[in-house]
Amino acid sequence: MRQYELMVILDPEIDERTVAPSLDKFLAVVKKDGGSVDTVDIWGRRRMAFDIKKKSEGIYAVIQMTAEPATAQELDRQLGLNEAVLRTKLLRRDA
Amino acid sequence: MAKPVVRKPKKKANPLKVAKVENIDYKDAALLRKFISDRGKIRARRVTGVSVQEQRRIANAVKNAREMALLPYSSSAR
Repeated sequence: MRQYELMVILDPEIDERTVAPSLDKFLAVVKKDGGSVDTVDIWGRRRMAFDIKKKSEGIYAVIQMTAEPATAQELDRQLGLNEAVLRTKLLRRDA
Repeated sequence: MAKPVVRKPKKKANPLKVAKVENIDYKDAALLRKFISDRGKIRARRVTGVSVQEQRRIANAVKNAREMALLPYSSSAR
């Protein structure tokens, strides 16, 4: 088990109220594989320094979690497949 | 014989110590902005006055922050 920090930028066009439930749905894979989600911090809509996919804003969320490396990789892969996710960054908290 | 001019560089105050920062975090865009120029380039260590180790962490943090669009790769000012 390792500690991870995951930052996600979501499409600004989705409703901000649906962000938490949809993140929960993605994070279900962590709990299923015996990991834990420690904190979910939704920064909200934020102007990006440059456009990503022709969008100048994004909804930022930062997630702290403990999971197996394979689980974290899988979560990152699934996020990348989703159209509503503009970008992700998965980092180990200790390194 | 002319004496060679020995210039003593003035020691700069470490801006991290001033701001009481222990962990350099890529999410702290406001802090990292102090270490990039107005063109968006990472400032050299002789300008910032931080240690080698800190400069490396800052550089990595800036690069991570750029990937997440928290900091610009380059500013439009030309």
